[in-house]
Amino acid sequence: MYDFSLLSGETRRTLIIALVLFLFAFISFCVVAIYTLVKTNVTSKKHKGKLKLVCDVAYFHERGKRDNQEDSLYISPMDKLYESGLVAACSDGMGGLLNGEVVSKFVTDSLSENFPYKFDAQKENSKIITGISDKIYEQYHLSAGATLVMVHIFDDYMNFYSLGDSNIILIRNNKATLLNHKQNYVTLMIRKLADGGLDTSDAYKDNRAKGLIDFVGNLNCNVLKTNHPIRLIENDIIIVCSDGVTDSMPLNRIVSHIHFDQNATGIARTIKYGVRARKNPRQDNYSAVVIKMRRSIF
Amino acid sequence: MIEYYTFKHRGDEMEYKDEVFLRLTPTLTVAIFDGSRLESAPKSQSLLFSEILSSEEGSKKLDELCEVFDDCLDHDAEYLILRVAGNGIECVRHGDVCAKIVSGGQIHILPNGFFGLSRDDRILCATANFYKPLTDEGILADALVANSCGDWMNMLVRRISDQTQLKCGNLSAVTLKLDM
Repeated sequence: MYDFSLLSGETRRTLIIALVLFLFAFISFCVVAIYTLVKTNVTSKKHKGKLKLVCDVAYFHERGKRDNQEDSLYISPMDKLYESGLVAACSDGMGGLLNGEVVSKFVTDSLSENFPYKFDAQKENSKIITGISDKIYEQYHLSAGATLVMVHIFDDYMNFYSLGDSNIILIRNNKATLLNHKQNYVTLMIRKLADGGLDTSDAYKDNRAKGLIDFVGNLNCNVLKTNHPIRLIENDIIIVCSDGVTDSMPLNRIVSHIHFDQNATGIARTIKYGVRARKNPRQDNYSAVVIKMRRSIF
Repeated sequence: MIEYYTFKHRGDEMEYKDEVFLRLTPTLTVAIFDGSRLESAPKSQSLLFSEILSSEEGSKKLDELCEVFDDCLDHDAEYLILRVAGNGIECVRHGDVCAKIVSGGQIHILPNGFFGLSRDDRILCATANFYKPLTDEGILADALVANSCGDWMNMLVRRISDQTQLKCGNLSAVTLKLDM
């Protein structure tokens, strides 16, 4: 069809080189295109319906008027967010007992060592917490203890774990709700009084009733945990905090102070200064992890 | 398996004017009557309510049963009837008494009509007075933490107590778990 013999040898070589280069470029393009297509498809299938919300996280960790900082916080590595979710915890050394700061630090260090946690393995995770508690019991025999609140957020869902009387607060649609129950004698008294058809005012009169019936450092402790996760929605705010925060700033005050459009850092700062502004001469340690759920644009 | 727990409390009222009705056969029927807004004879109305449900008229279809209630009860009477049907539940409510369902980590009001249930769904039926001090998020969290219906109810009562010390009107509720 074509008589290439009419072309000079040099021109033919040039044409062959050009053809080879073109073929190489074309094959490279095809390989890259196919790889990108497959990769994108697999990733989008893997995360289909997921990655809807992302966590914006901030924290504060203040000593108050105490000599020691007996609160301890843990926030899991943010670069593991998509693989293992976010774990945030607050442990508060129990007042009146020894080594509060050592025990609360031990709790959060142990949580860090056990990361990552399986999201749907609530029983296993609570066993890990029970194991930490048993270790503290073996060392201190109830002379030291701490509270613990921990949340585990994965995509749009959250599990929580609680021991003692620290707080997990969910703010949704400008309403704050304490998600976990305080494990103290008040709970038992309310049950008795309600069963007897009485009002429960007596349960709140005695300060000793606020004594904890379970905490980290108790043998075979009963961890309050979600058996199924809570679905989170955009703009949910989760506050994982010690009672030093809520003693000075009740839930309704927290809601009235923060703004809908604030990010986690802004909310954490508002709460921190709100507690400080109370100028409580006996201000307990106050620490919190603030998480705001935002919609991802990716 | 059907698991349920009922709670009835007089609150700070002189008498208990609500009614909680439960029947397990032939199909589970749960009904709550709220007598707090009735000005005349709330107690007799609540008794009449449970009498009708216990009688053979109680086995009628829900829309027919509602016609009976319309004829016999005061127009201001507030009530809720839930009846298990197949793999779901039928619901009829009149007034502010309602049921809330916890499903897939979310909480919703159970609408009138038929609603299909899945495993691990939990239902709370209660009067408006019971819901007043509670938030949906609190009800949801307790349902997901509780190991039994009794546990769930105790947690809800603790929440109400923290707000009102149970010095409120009559409190009536049923927590329910149906493994379909």
